[in-house]
Amino acid sequence: MAVDETQRTYDHPLYQHVERMPGLSVALGNIDQLLTWGSANSLWIFPMATSCCGIEFMAAAASAVDLDRMGSIPRGTPRQCDVMVVAGTITVKMAPRVKKLWEQMPEPKWCVAMGSCAISGDFYRDIYSVIPGIDTFIPVDVYVPGCPPNPEALMHGLLRLQEKIRMLREGKLTREELRPESPPNLNRPAIGRLHDPERDPLTSEEQTDSAAGLGFGDNLNLARIRRPRPTAEPRPQPGAEPQPAADSDEESAP
Amino acid sequence: MHSVTGVDPHLDIESYDPSADLMVLNLGPQHPSTHGVFRVKLYLDGEIIIKAVPYAGYLHRGVEKLCEELTFVQVIPIVDKNDYVSPMMNEQAIAMACEAMLGIEVPPRALYLRTIFAELQRLASHLLWLGTFGMDLGGALGGGASLFMYCFRERETVLGLFEEVTGCRFHYNTHAVGGNRHDITPRFTQDTKATLEVIEKRIDEYVEIFSSNGIYRDRTWGIGVLDGELASSLGITGPLARASGVDHDLRRDAPYHIYGELEVNVFTESAGDCFARTLVRLNEMRESIRIVREIIDSVPEGPILGMKPGKSPGHIKIDAGQGYSCLESPRGELGTYVIGGGNSRGASAYRLKIRSPSLHAASCIPYLFPGHTVSDAVAILGTLDPIMGEVDR
Amino acid sequence: MTRDEAQERFVALLQERFGVSEIPEGNYPLVDVAHHFELARALRDEFGYRIYSFVVASHYPAQLDAKNDNAVIDTEHYEVATGLRCIGAPAHLASWRVRVELDQSVPTLFPLFAGADWQEREQYDLVGVRFADHPDLRRLMMPEDWEGHPLRKDYAIETACPPWR
Ligand code: SF4
Repeated sequence: MAVDETQRTYDHPLYQHVERMPGLSVALGNIDQLLTWGSANSLWIFPMATSCCGIEFMAAAASAVDLDRMGSIPRGTPRQCDVMVVAGTITVKMAPRVKKLWEQMPEPKWCVAMGSCAISGDFYRDIYSVIPGIDTFIPVDVYVPGCPPNPEALMHGLLRLQEKIRMLREGKLTREELRPESPPNLNRPAIGRLHDPERDPLTSEEQTDSAAGLGFGDNLNLARIRRPRPTAEPRPQPGAEPQPAADSDEESAP
Repeated sequence: MHSVTGVDPHLDIESYDPSADLMVLNLGPQHPSTHGVFRVKLYLDGEIIIKAVPYAGYLHRGVEKLCEELTFVQVIPIVDKNDYVSPMMNEQAIAMACEAMLGIEVPPRALYLRTIFAELQRLASHLLWLGTFGMDLGGALGGGASLFMYCFRERETVLGLFEEVTGCRFHYNTHAVGGNRHDITPRFTQDTKATLEVIEKRIDEYVEIFSSNGIYRDRTWGIGVLDGELASSLGITGPLARASGVDHDLRRDAPYHIYGELEVNVFTESAGDCFARTLVRLNEMRESIRIVREIIDSVPEGPILGMKPGKSPGHIKIDAGQGYSCLESPRGELGTYVIGGGNSRGASAYRLKIRSPSLHAASCIPYLFPGHTVSDAVAILGTLDPIMGEVDR
Repeated sequence: MTRDEAQERFVALLQERFGVSEIPEGNYPLVDVAHHFELARALRDEFGYRIYSFVVASHYPAQLDAKNDNAVIDTEHYEVATGLRCIGAPAHLASWRVRVELDQSVPTLFPLFAGADWQEREQYDLVGVRFADHPDLRRLMMPEDWEGHPLRKDYAIETACPPWR
């Protein structure tokens, strides 16, 4: 089944190659199905496992439930992953890191909020140090309720995510979330790697600076790290969510 | 500077050899081997760590403040989430503190249940530690994952037992002030025995893996030696201290529940390195199995709740006084310090402090890391087994 | 030695050498802050209390008598309870409290017990009581630029922290 271009919300780079190759475009329908199948069934997971739900996440990845059989492998670095599973309470101290890790993931990316803490803050919601739900700063695709959700529930959540991906690619569902639409550099994370020509030079400069200013001992050169960030033109991201004024001073502590 | 180890946790880096080419490395807060969110800033000279500065608090959920707002009945499911690897221990600790201050008698059947649950939790907790420790040493693709898979297979069976009793895999909310909420069935007794039978055999296999694997030995022997004197002055208890030769176990020395009637064997090792800590934990798993086996058939009949269940959440009132009571959790002395007389005439605590063994365990990092390489740091952090929910609370 | 004997010995020590007159029922004895360090040293060196068990600080706001023209019943102060334990049976816990006013500080136990480093930092962070001569009195739980001490009674539980909550 060929896909209506106008409704497709993201594009795979392979797709463009296929389009360019003579003759292959006839098979586009099948290729599209292949790509849809592929992207829905190889969801590599970045476990943002902070607390108790993280233990249930480990149980889900381990022998009894075994996420591997649906192509979901937990990986330790955001650069390799498609899905961020936020399993656990996110505190004020941790949130900037979570946001940064989310930005380091390449598009297309998805987020699963596992457990009441990630969804709404659970009974810690009103406490001075806890974020009342991660959807206040990153977009969430699937909510898995429970305290903690069983491994089976997480699996169900991932199946629903696959369903969502399939429907999105087939144009049956249009996204409602405030998520950046597919930028032209599709498979690039929002914060580019070093030497990436599109990486904001200010970011590099600031990071180099803060690394140099880190100093030794506990006499961190705070004045240097907390230097007000020069206002740069934000990267063009059509429909981007309103940015919470978040990542201003956290560059020094990856 | 600590007199025994010669390590100064507050070493002034500026005064360290100025010609050295120092490097700062952040381990965490999001790192697969930190078992949660924990950050250690490592100052490296080449690959050798010369100073480690840990930063906690990435999971500070304000439990103690919340406990001041809620009543003693409502607090129990909250504290469950502190040490999320053995949640029942938290419930027991806080229930024991309230009982001690109010002088409530717990019926013998509930005491037996608590003992059985505590030992099964110790087993589950150590199994999880063993699995993740294998992962730390071997990496997900380097063979460590097989141990992880095996241990989780066993842990699932133990969690299955709890699910049968309470309906939850963890975060049970099964202990109340004065007793328990859920009773065990004959089927539970049967299943427990069968499960323990299996796990006991498997533990022997793990011991085999550990004692015969050269890589494992190389990475743990003589790594991260914790001195016994330093351990107790840091407040470290539990398997960590016992692996350093501190012969101290609250189950034997200050018995609670029904441990007074039992013979509890306490295993100590003198080496104090990562390998000794592994051995102590493996032996404790066997000991837990033995204790459960010994008492599971002699659980007396009777009620499991010692006081009339209250209708309102505020029916337990501690209006004055202060008290501390503790138990031996899988990580050491888990205590609760309660100051009575909080809101609405004592229905909640004025101040409630949870004395968590993990915080004390994590505080030995500045003493243990210096002198080791970064890969050893991962092994040491693994054997300390800090649970971040408990470190930060 | 049983636990009761150990407790008697502890009480005798307090009464004879540290000027404690009464041991309150259902509470821990209140020791003058000047004796805090000496008491800990005596317990550690002479009686073998080598495990540093806990330190708990709590904050008490000022109590005013509303009926009597807001006369001060009790000033704002901190209370710090410390617990030491001996190794092996009977695992007796020696615990006492000290009271300090808002501007006073408690002598640190770090020279005696290495564990005091982090525990006192935590209490300083959450409650705000200061420990004199502590080698490294920084925040432990909250971010370093956090304002206020969360476990004080005048700190609202739902304090906002823009832009995060
Ligand atoms: S939802 Fe429950 S189990 Fe999950 S992190 Fe929060 S408190 Fe823990």
